[in-house]
Formats: sequence, C-alpha cells, structure tokens
Amino acid sequence: MADTSKQKLKLGFADNFKVVTLEIPKGEPRPWDADTELTVVGKPVVRRDGVAKVTGKATYTHDIRLPGMLHAAVLRSPYACCIVKELKLDAAAKSPGVGAVISLADVGERLLFAGQDVAAVAAATPEQARAALAAIVVTYEEQPHVVHTRQAMQPGAPLVHTTKVKARKTEGDEPGASRQATQKGNVRHTGSDAKKDVAKGLRAADVVHEAEYTTQVHTHSALETHSIVVRWDDAKHMTVWSSTQSIFSVRGEMADIFGLKPADVHVITEYLGGGFGAKFGASAPGSRLGFIAGTLAKQAKAPVSLLLDRHEEHVCTGNRPDSIQTVKLGAKKSGELTAIHVVAHGSAGIGTGAGVGRNAIGIYTRCPNIKVESADVYTNAGPGAAFRAPGHPQGAFALELGLDELAAKIGRDPLDIRIEHNVHPVRRHQFELGRKKIDWDQKRKRAAELLARKARVLRGVGVAASIWGDFGRKGAAAATVSVGRDGSIEVQNGVQDIGGGIVTVLAQIAAEVFRRPLETVTVKFGDSRYGASVGSGGSQTTSSVTPAVRAAAEKVKAQLAEVAAKELKVTVKDVSWDSDGTAHARKAKRSITFARLCQRMPGEATTATATRPGTYGHHPMKFMGGPLYQIAGVQFAEVAVDSWTGEVTVERVLAVHDCGRVMNPLTLRSQINGGVILGTSYALMEQRVMDRSSGLMLNPNLETYKIAGARDIPKIEVALTEVHTGANNTGAIGIGEPATIPTAAAIACAVFNATGAPVRSLPLTPDRVLQSLEVVPT
Amino acid sequence: MSERSRLSRRGLFRGFGTATLVAGCSGNKATTDNPSDGLAVPPPEGAEAVGPGPTSLTFELNGTAAALEVPPHMTLLDALRLQLNVTGTKEVCNRGACGACMVLVDGVPRNSCMLLAHDVRGAKVTTVEGLATDGKLSVLQQAFVDNDAMQCGFCTSGMLISCSALLARSQGQVPAAADIQSAIAGNLCRCGTYPHVVAAVTQAAGKGA
Repeated sequence: MADTSKQKLKLGFADNFKVVTLEIPKGEPRPWDADTELTVVGKPVVRRDGVAKVTGKATYTHDIRLPGMLHAAVLRSPYACCIVKELKLDAAAKSPGVGAVISLADVGERLLFAGQDVAAVAAATPEQARAALAAIVVTYEEQPHVVHTRQAMQPGAPLVHTTKVKARKTEGDEPGASRQATQKGNVRHTGSDAKKDVAKGLRAADVVHEAEYTTQVHTHSALETHSIVVRWDDAKHMTVWSSTQSIFSVRGEMADIFGLKPADVHVITEYLGGGFGAKFGASAPGSRLGFIAGTLAKQAKAPVSLLLDRHEEHVCTGNRPDSIQTVKLGAKKSGELTAIHVVAHGSAGIGTGAGVGRNAIGIYTRCPNIKVESADVYTNAGPGAAFRAPGHPQGAFALELGLDELAAKIGRDPLDIRIEHNVHPVRRHQFELGRKKIDWDQKRKRAAELLARKARVLRGVGVAASIWGDFGRKGAAAATVSVGRDGSIEVQNGVQDIGGGIVTVLAQIAAEVFRRPLETVTVKFGDSRYGASVGSGGSQTTSSVTPAVRAAAEKVKAQLAEVAAKELKVTVKDVSWDSDGTAHARKAKRSITFARLCQRMPGEATTATATRPGTYGHHPMKFMGGPLYQIAGVQFAEVAVDSWTGEVTVERVLAVHDCGRVMNPLTLRSQINGGVILGTSYALMEQRVMDRSSGLMLNPNLETYKIAGARDIPKIEVALTEVHTGANNTGAIGIGEPATIPTAAAIACAVFNATGAPVRSLPLTPDRVLQSLEVVPT
Repeated sequence: MSERSRLSRRGLFRGFGTATLVAGCSGNKATTDNPSDGLAVPPPEGAEAVGPGPTSLTFELNGTAAALEVPPHMTLLDALRLQLNVTGTKEVCNRGACGACMVLVDGVPRNSCMLLAHDVRGAKVTTVEGLATDGKLSVLQQAFVDNDAMQCGFCTSGMLISCSALLARSQGQVPAAADIQSAIAGNLCRCGTYPHVVAAVTQAAGKGA
C-alpha cells in the first residue's frame, strides 16, 4: 500500500540480531530498535504514584466520599439453587436511613448460585443498609444443585442451566481463544485446537504416558473489593468512580444500561487495589454492580457507593476455573515426541471460559501431532472470569508435569526434551540461560542422591515454559501530548494504573522524546475525559499506550522543530536536538534552549493527539493465528519437600522472561515478582472449598482461603532477555500474564524431581504429597 | 437467611446486648488483648458505662486530638474511614486476617477492624497519614518509594505500619530478611510485593530509620 514505507530495523535478542525490513505506516515515528540508545526509557525510574501510596493520599473507589452519599448493600441468594417464591421490600423501604430499595430477582425466578443478586438497598450508613436487608421478606424454594465439576459431568446430575447461555467476554480474555460450542447436560464442548493426527502419533510411540491432572478454583482476591460509586449529575449525565481495570468498559456498560451517550458518562479510576482479570465492565461477573448503584442513585436522588465485602468478593466476582485434564503423551525411545493429546474439562461455575490455554498446542511444536479438546462444565457456583493468563497456568501444570513423567519413563533429561521440541529461538535461549544460572545438571544429580539415600528433606528442580501473544491494540488508545509555553510537558490518556506502573512509563516516553527531565512531565490518567484507552488486561497496556504517547510526542516535537528552524534560520531538516532538549542548527553554530524555544511557540501550547497502528513486526517468532510476536518465558523452581510432613517449600524461582524492549526494570521486576508469587500461592495454598451438600463456599474469607504471605514465597531471581521485535514504535510488549503462567508447573515438576512421585493435583498440599509418597492412603 | 445474618464479631456483640459489651470498652485502656475481658463481666468499679447510643470518644490521631461520637459497637476502622474520613487505612477482609487496616495504637501495630473505636479512648493512634513529618516522608516511606515496595498500593499503609513498628523495636539495628518477613507475616499483598518491602525495610534500617 502506498501509505506505508519500508524501513530497515535491527531486530533480535542476545547476540542474535539481524536487519529486518518492515512496512511501517506513514506518519509513524521510526520504531526504536536494537540500535537506538535511550536515556530515560529502560532505566529504573521510581513510580510516580509512590508518594501518594505511602502517605495514604492515593484515592481509591473505596475512599470516595460525596456529600449526601448513601451506602448500598446487596441481598444475595443463600442457596446454590433455588426459586424465589416471595420477595417483599416494603419493610426495608421503611427501615431507618433507607433512600432506595430495588429487587434484582423476580418471584418465580430460578437463582443459580449462592451469592446471586436478589435485592439491594441504599441507606445513610452501611450499617443501616445491612439492617434494611435484614428487613426484606424473601422466601426461597430450594432446588437440586451441583457444585463439583466431576459430579456435574455425570448423567442425571441436576441441570445448572435450563436456558441457553451467552458467553461473556472481556478485555481480560485472550484474543482468539474462544470458539463455537455445543452443549450436552452440564457439559459445553468448546471444540479443539489440533494439528495432524494424535491417534496416529500415539500408535507410532514407543512409550505412552497417560494420566489425569486436576487444578482447583482460584479466586482473584484483589485487596480492594469490587466497588462503584455513582452520582447522577442530571437526568442525562452521570459520574462514576469504579475500581476497574478498564475505565472505558465501565463507561460503555453504564451508557448501555441507562441509555446515555458514552460521552455523558464520566468515569474516574484514580487508583485501584488490584484486579487480576475480574474487574472489567461496570458489573462484576456475578453481580450487576453498575445497574444496582446507578438505579439506587437514581431512585434515591443521591450518590450511591456500593463496595462489596470479602465474602461477596469470593463468591460472585469471578475466579479461575478448575480443571480435570487427561493428558496422553507419546514418544519414541529417543525422546522424540509423537503426540500430545489433552482432554480438559473445567468449571467456570454458571459461566463459560474454562479452557486450558495455549501451552499444549503452542510451545513444544516440534511434536507433529497435537490435540487439545476442552469443555466447560456448569456448576451452581459463581461465574469464572479472566484471571491473569486465563487457562494457561492450568494447562501448563498438566502438560509440563506430564512431560516430566514421560521423560522419567524413557530416561531422558526433561529440559533437553523441552529444548528439542521448542522452536522459539528466544525461549531456547532462555532455557539454556536458565540451565546455567540454576546449575541444572548439578541440582538434578543432588536430587537423585537425596532420594537414593532416603533423606528426610528431599530437594528437586523443575522447569516450565510460558506462551503469550503481543496483543497491543491498534487505535484503542488515543494519547494527547502538550508542551506549554513554560516548557512543561503534559501527557493525557484515560488509562488506569492497576499497579503495573504505566503512568511512570508514559512519563518516561515523553521525557525521552523531548530529552527533557522527568520532573517536567505531568501525566493525567485515570479519567475517561483524558482520551480513549485500553483495559489493563491481556498484557496489552504498555504495548497499546506507549506507542500512542510516543507518536503524539513526536508530532509535537516536529511542530517545535519548525519553530526552532525559524528561530535558527535554517530548514527543519537542519535542526538537531541535544541531550537537554536544546535545538541546534546543524550547519551554523546557533542554538536555542528548550525553555526559550517554548516561549517562541505561536500559541499557549503545542498539542497533538495520536494513536498506534496495528502491529507491524513479530521478529523472531510469531504467535499462533496472527502476525503477532509470541512472548516467551521460562521459569525454574527449586523446592525442598519434607518427606515426613509432606510440606513443600519453594526455595528459589528463576524467572527468565522477555517483554520486548524493557521500559522500566524497577516496576517490571515488581510485576514479575508478583506473577511468581501468585503462581506459588496457586501451587501450594489456594483453593476454593465448596460444600457438596449445602452448595456453599466454606472459605469465603482470607483466613481459610490461604494466599501466600511473606514467609511462604521463594527467593526470586529475574533474568530479562530483552527482544527487539519491531512490533510497534516503542518496542514494548506485555509481561503481566507471562510472569505467572509457568510458576505452578515448574514447582510441581520440581516436587516430582525431588520425590520421584508426581502430585497430579493442585494445590500441592502436605496430604497430597504424603499420598503420592504412599505414606498415607489416598 | 442473608449472608449478613451469620455470626459475626459485631453480630455477636449485638446478640449479647449492649450491657455486656460496655464492660469491654469502658475505662481508658485498650483491653481487648485479653479474651476473658468483655463478655458477661460487669463494668469495673468506677468505670463509666458506654452506650447504647453514640457516645463521645476522644483520642489522639496522628498528633491531633480527635473527638467524635460513635456507638459502642463501631470498629476503629469504621470510625476512621466513615466518621473521620481518614481513608489511608484500608478495609480488605474486616476479620483481622490481612493486616490492611493496621494502625499504631500507642506504638503497637493493631488491626483496626478488630478494635472497637472506644478501645482507643485516650490512646495515641497513628495511621499511614501520620508517618510523614511536616510533609516530609519518613526514611521508611522514602525507602518504599525508592525500592518500588508497592504495586496497587492497597496493602501499603498496613505494611508501612508493621514495618515502622519493627524499626522502632530494632532500635537502629538492621533486621535480617527473615525478621522483616516475620514482621509482615500478617500483611497480605496480592500483587506480590513482599521482596521489595523487605528490600525497603533493609535500606531504611541501614539509614538509621
């Protein structure tokens, strides 16, 4: 096409660079490549929100206080399945302090999980709201329920849904990962990913490993519960404060619900206390929060704050579905894989989306025959939601532990088998780097020695890989950059900072372009009025927003270059910039400082808005199904297993990741630490426990739903393998999700290495470890 | 049955009636450390009964006198966040399991969701807002910023309270990583920031915080 130009970029990683010609849309700044030296981007800059967060000044949705604001509370179904027989709100409406009461279920309606919306009130204090809920008269008729996945798959199990289900999608879901579905009983088959013929591959194998692997339901447990505050400014305008990962998804949903123009819904998320995939849209996956707060506020003619409590957060705001995976692997005696076949069932409660990710289909692709079949199993529990790399940690666990078991059967090193079957050059580099850094061969030898002499404390090392795509989005983020007459620089974009540090990185980009000190850059964020942006999901924020900011900044800089050319009496081509933003005339010995140049600009400010085009490069390796870079990562785990108590201690995790060009190594390390810690917690501790007979969650809190604390985590080492992919003009690629994908799998593999006995269920609790060692009965 | 009607701490207090509650929150000293205090014990001689309605309460909050009217069953956390609009202290679990609501009460880190507001009558309460002096960050706060010891920031105020108390106890000595991990064992972080918190405390202790 005529509106692109061919540009040669130096791309690659480590010592594997080559010059690649890419088609770059006209108007795009020349992408930063391996030859570009940057002075602010890539440096460990402290986060901009640090001071606000350490002083308690950062305002979260929980902290919003408005004049006349009422507090909402929601009555939730106490039964796993029931029919509403009676619902009377009159007494609640007369309860002290109450401003509005609404029903959220109809008489005769069948409610599908414990925690489903029944009614809601808004009152002057939270206590009055709770008292008013207690005054609601409601009777239920209990219905048969099923809360366990295996039970729900049985013929004759109570049917969870009696009507057709619509799959819910958010920006947290992996693009391209869902397909057409067919349903039978509670089982909804969502098709398969396949290449060639697994049956043939299994017949050709010398050794076949077949086993079943299971993983648990994992709740997001963000510290700030789902929350929303709604104020009607007039009949057609509303201001919404929301603890959301996607300001614009809240805006869109509220506009839809209340028939408003999106532009008339003003959404503010200055800070949010975590999300992990469950906070997209104005509603929680299992509760209509936006509708509730907006309707109550309208009825009461007062702003309404709806903050969920911890119990509600566990039961109705999403979770990582469980999985039951049958893995069949075939190999030649040499270790050459002939087939990978995974059949996965998982339950996202009443919702959909219990797939197991791309690990089996996308990583060890030298295996010629691969098939991954997946199915959702409905149960009477709160709906699942995207959760940091939806499906992937489950899929990685089953595949990687299965591979280790197969390798043990044929007497091959499992790391060698992985390297032999992976075709991604960066991932191969990461495997080799990790092998050296963790001292793999020695550690495996030590594990065998300890096992041979029946030591009480056994030690092992394991490895697993991640796969993710560069889902940076075209046109989704519009950034505005403005340079004022006083030399100040302002970046505006309505992105929310979930804690990954995007706001700091945007300031770095602008400082880099203008070669100005970071302190001169202001970033306005967290507000829908600052321009369209993306959700903090799919590991796409940095790769979607930074290129837009850079493009806008470069446009402003081009305008400033014209002013400079005029002042310096040269052509624009002959203007060059030095390290403090001073403009020089290339041929003459004349210059003008940035401050003086800004004073010469024609108006009060020079401003430009820009977005980013589609991804234009994916060097050196493509993700499946599109011209996107495939993000590689591997993690190595070292564990100690007490063979008397069954306790697993993760002593060390080495996380080797690429995320394109590193924007800020300080905040990047925080994100990777976070991924590893979440994965460790998932591997060892967390599980939602449902009571079969009552259908209720038994641990909807943070003392019996265990999440890892400071003493439960490994020593974490991060090794970054920076890659220049040519994907966009800054080279940024995501990291949030890749960092948690392989952790639990690597830990499970390390436990197998230590004990010689696989624990095929997560979490790896002491009872399961002792069962695997056959010291206690299964 | 609604979720709310299950047994809860405050529900329990309500169930026993105000008469039994007032004993636990009378007097000048926080007494909830001793579980035998409070229930079915008459007020000590000379102690003033509190409640059942909102009753005046004064304590020192971040160096200034705070005077408010709170009912006897209100937690310190709710009094801070809802009555006084001091919102740096966060509510996460509201059951003493996560440490997000920690404040210093006479220098001791306490979960404010597990204290009644009247428990701190006359005490010195420090929240995250009280850690900086005259707008200048404490050495520990600065170390949190420098070491990126936060992500979403929702656990940060509780973490800072636990770590400030540790540094006060260690009196200029640099605690070992294991000591710091123990000090924050009651502070849950979902973003996974523990390693940077340990780094920050180590750095702050080294600077004499």
